[in-house]
Amino acid sequence: MRRIKLLSLCAAFAGAMALAACTHVISQETSLPSWHPEALGEGRVDCSECHEDKVKGVLKPYASFSHTPVFVKNHRFYAGEDGRLCATCHKPSFCTDCHANELEIKPSIRYGNRPDRELVHRGDYLTRHRIDGKIDPTSCFKCHGRTNNEQCVACHR
Amino acid sequence: MKHKLRLMTLAFASLPSLAAAADLGVDATSLIRLEERSVPGFKDENVVPATQFLGVDLDKLGDGNLSFHLHGWGRVDLAHRSTDEGTTDGDLSYAYLAYRFPKADGLVRLGRFYVYEGIAAEQLDGVSVRGDLAKGFTASLFGGAPVRLDITDRNKGDYVVGGRVGFRVPGILEIGASALREGNTDTGQTANLKNYRQLVGGDIWLAPFRMIEVRGHSSYNTATDGFAEHSYLVLFQPLKDLSISAEYNDYRLKDYFASTNLRSLFNPDKGETLRSYGGSVTYVIAKPVEVSADYKRINYHGDNHGNTHRYGGEVRLTLADRKVRAGVSYHRADSNRADVNSYHEVRGWGLYDAAAYFASLDAIAHFYRQSIDTRSHDYEFVGSAGYRILPNLAFSGDIAYGRNPRLDSELRGVLRLTWNFTSTSKGAAK
Repeated sequence: MRRIKLLSLCAAFAGAMALAACTHVISQETSLPSWHPEALGEGRVDCSECHEDKVKGVLKPYASFSHTPVFVKNHRFYAGEDGRLCATCHKPSFCTDCHANELEIKPSIRYGNRPDRELVHRGDYLTRHRIDGKIDPTSCFKCHGRTNNEQCVACHR
Repeated sequence: MKHKLRLMTLAFASLPSLAAAADLGVDATSLIRLEERSVPGFKDENVVPATQFLGVDLDKLGDGNLSFHLHGWGRVDLAHRSTDEGTTDGDLSYAYLAYRFPKADGLVRLGRFYVYEGIAAEQLDGVSVRGDLAKGFTASLFGGAPVRLDITDRNKGDYVVGGRVGFRVPGILEIGASALREGNTDTGQTANLKNYRQLVGGDIWLAPFRMIEVRGHSSYNTATDGFAEHSYLVLFQPLKDLSISAEYNDYRLKDYFASTNLRSLFNPDKGETLRSYGGSVTYVIAKPVEVSADYKRINYHGDNHGNTHRYGGEVRLTLADRKVRAGVSYHRADSNRADVNSYHEVRGWGLYDAAAYFASLDAIAHFYRQSIDTRSHDYEFVGSAGYRILPNLAFSGDIAYGRNPRLDSELRGVLRLTWNFTSTSKGAAK
């Protein structure tokens, strides 16, 4: 019984020490907000319209995240490092509109009322994929190499 | 399918227990497509799939930092089958509990979710933890079972674990190291494959001067002992309205394609490499007019492959406090190989989005160097109009018509009802 008490005491002490260490190891900075506090206009946002400084949580200039054509085209780099900043304005379903294990509808059909959005495979892509796949198969692999390829299997067995 | 339905039922069944949530958000989109497909030599076919997309977000649960998020879809074919699979289908994209810590951007997630951390882009049923550490360090960990596809139960491993460690110097540098391991993957008929997927990688963001940024990552496949990818982007912004970018990508397909479940299509055994480089320029002439041009050279090294130039440009207009948006673009894919086709792409679109009504037009056409099935071009027109019955309830309809090498004609109608509900005002809508 005494041994159990001693072990419990040791465990409690170790826990308290770990907690104390964590409070020193973990940043004391306030987290990013869950929502952008102000309503944003439609279309691509330009963060530098209102912000000049660095984003507190990710320590990078706001201008880095303005949704320019380069940003939109290369958003995978931003998602890999600063996904929590994306989550301030976007729900995960914004990503799964295009990047999903199983996609029900081509994004450009689902959002046929949003021609301003950069959505892949517009028009007759079934014909065009034979060309793009021969030119650069890595562009197909990113989304269809391991996931979202149930329709590919219908022909490519 | 049954597994997915069970998961969705379980997810919905958990909602009543969370009904005391302080904040509720629901995004629901109902889509009915009406398509007439006219294939040369075959009888015309009508397909009428009805799809329901549903997202639920319950925030401020428990002590206010706990939340629940769910998103999925289900489809019923009301006429001919719309896909090669059954007349019904569905998928649970994500359903997870999240706990956000007030400090250090700490986040714990439990359930089905997506992870984007360094080289990892995974969908899994499991747990993830992330947070900022002292002295500029960050850390994240995840683990669980990878979400499988319907087509076979063996194309993913039994488990996937990974994480990323990062270090930041405010405003100047962030470097990250990430790793991922997926165990007990199916090797199929190929005897020399490893039964695991294991990648390590590094990523960087560097801003040595105010107007220059470098972003990119490299990944190394330790299962095949080779670099899979190097992808880097340099951004140069000499003026507020002028952005210049350059990119470089290098793939070794033996290592990059090694984990595919479609080896006949993404064949990693040929020892091929693909290198591409290019750049773009974007200039905001005046606030409503944005002009951009891009170029990319793709060198695909291997048997029966060649080099391709991709280039083009786009002009975008944004007027009347963003109520009116429009764009025209031209792009060209120009291959140097006679047996790989080339094409021109031309597109024009316009959108009007007022408080009550919204409407858009979109036209796209492709012109091929070599005719495909006797057709030298394809085109598609899409017209859409909608009305907001309430600020968060909108009804819209699209009509699309096109001709292409596959179909004599393709006529498609889409009816769309969108409902976005939030119980409280939380700032900008997501």
